[in-house]
Amino acid sequence: MFQPASLKGDSPTPIDEEFRNKYLILYFINIILSIIPCVLFELGYLGIFWKKGIYLLYFFLLPLNIILLIYLLQFSAIIISILFLTVLKLIYPPKEGTFKRNSKDKDYIYWNIRNIIKKWPLFITASNPFPWFKNRFTLRFFGVKIGKNGMHDNSWISSEFVSIGKNVIIGMNSTLLSFGIEQDTFILRKIIVEDNVIIGAKCVLLPGTHIKYNTKLSAHSYTNFNAILHENSIYMGHPAKLKEK
Amino acid sequence: MQNSENSQFKIEYISTSGVYKTPFTLIILLQFFIGCLVVISINLWFYNDLFFLLTGKRFLSFLLIGQWWEWLLLPLNIYGNLLLFAFSVILFSAFLFKVLNKIYPPREGVFEKGSKEWKYTHRRFWMAYFPIWLARSLPLPWSDIFVYRFLGVHIGKNVVAYEGYIDPEFVEIEDYTMTSLNICIFSHLIYHDKILIKRVKIGKTCIVGPQTIISPGTILQDGAILGVNSYTWVNQILDGDFIHVGTPVNKKLQIQSVEESIKKAERIKEESQKKINNTDKKIIGANR
Repeated sequence: MFQPASLKGDSPTPIDEEFRNKYLILYFINIILSIIPCVLFELGYLGIFWKKGIYLLYFFLLPLNIILLIYLLQFSAIIISILFLTVLKLIYPPKEGTFKRNSKDKDYIYWNIRNIIKKWPLFITASNPFPWFKNRFTLRFFGVKIGKNGMHDNSWISSEFVSIGKNVIIGMNSTLLSFGIEQDTFILRKIIVEDNVIIGAKCVLLPGTHIKYNTKLSAHSYTNFNAILHENSIYMGHPAKLKEK
Repeated sequence: MQNSENSQFKIEYISTSGVYKTPFTLIILLQFFIGCLVVISINLWFYNDLFFLLTGKRFLSFLLIGQWWEWLLLPLNIYGNLLLFAFSVILFSAFLFKVLNKIYPPREGVFEKGSKEWKYTHRRFWMAYFPIWLARSLPLPWSDIFVYRFLGVHIGKNVVAYEGYIDPEFVEIEDYTMTSLNICIFSHLIYHDKILIKRVKIGKTCIVGPQTIISPGTILQDGAILGVNSYTWVNQILDGDFIHVGTPVNKKLQIQSVEESIKKAERIKEESQKKINNTDKKIIGANR
């Protein structure tokens, strides 16, 4: 909601510098291709209103034009990045597990490339004024399952290997990380959050966490790797432990 | 304020403040539209003149003819338009916020889902969202304090409050307090079908450390310090001129001067060294 400028941004994906320099072309191609539909749209708008001499209507509809432009840019960026992602999936399908953090490990390389491709659409979502764009619109296109009637606009959610159920509340500034880096190893595990779960403010879920039905996680706590939080109970602490009544 | 509902409502965990997405969210589009219209209607004559200088035609014939020196005003115009847009949106939404407050004044307590309080808190939050977002994306970092004052939050003079999340109602911050990076000041807590609203008071010359959460109902007395990485429970009172630490807050430490703390650190160092020497002698003796 009312977050300051220094805390805005897309989900924290530390892309390796080696691969970032290598595959930077993909990032620029994504930007250029997604701007082309916007240019065509603007040309059409100018052609309809300015050249026919309806100047006042041109200025009156200009704010609507800007709003449509933001939506169009977002949509085209998502579609182009999905095209790249489907090609990548055919070459090497993404899978969970523990890998090595080398330039020889194929899973680590392809995880980095996927993040480079997702960078541009996630950057636009984070920097426009409409808060429902990121978790309700963009992440669903990338294959993250997010249920209805939730409240999760102010959290950082990883863009793959996450599934979130219905009626879930995820608090302010809390992060759901489906990847972990520990020295030489690189971990990718799925995070599952079932229905009716409440996650408080400033929580951190590490990869492999499974939160079951109707469980509450109190604010300012984090879960361990592969932690299972059982149903209908309250958890809190560093790391999260069952609260006894 | 202690309602009969409030005492029955048990708080077993701290959740979060925030709102669901409702159809009222589209108010953001209306605020955007109004702000743009104000900017465009004020700038029409200027762009008419520039268009005349470029092509020799005018799209508004009843205005003055452009002069060459109007090109010099272009950079000032761009920067001024940013401020004008933000200012008009802030004034418009502050007016609507006051109207909403008149229609249904906000109250403290515990309320169910679907009640009028639930609906109107959602409306007020979405109304306040866009002006605060705008103020925080402007190049003037203290401008969001003015927005909070417009919306009716009491913020004193010389307050640092632009690096964290602050709810737009039921918050009082007195003079000379500092809040650090990435803090949350909640006056609302949302559970699944209930919402808890209570006033937060922060006194004079307080310091709120980074990465902290202040829950509804907490009172920081004058000169209190909330330590790093800690959060307060609901209805907690922090005494003045003390340091408070814990998750949730359970420790009270005295404020020391720098010289005192250096002396204490040296004393602890000497004691620990003596202990180490003693254990070393014992180990050496055991080996012999």
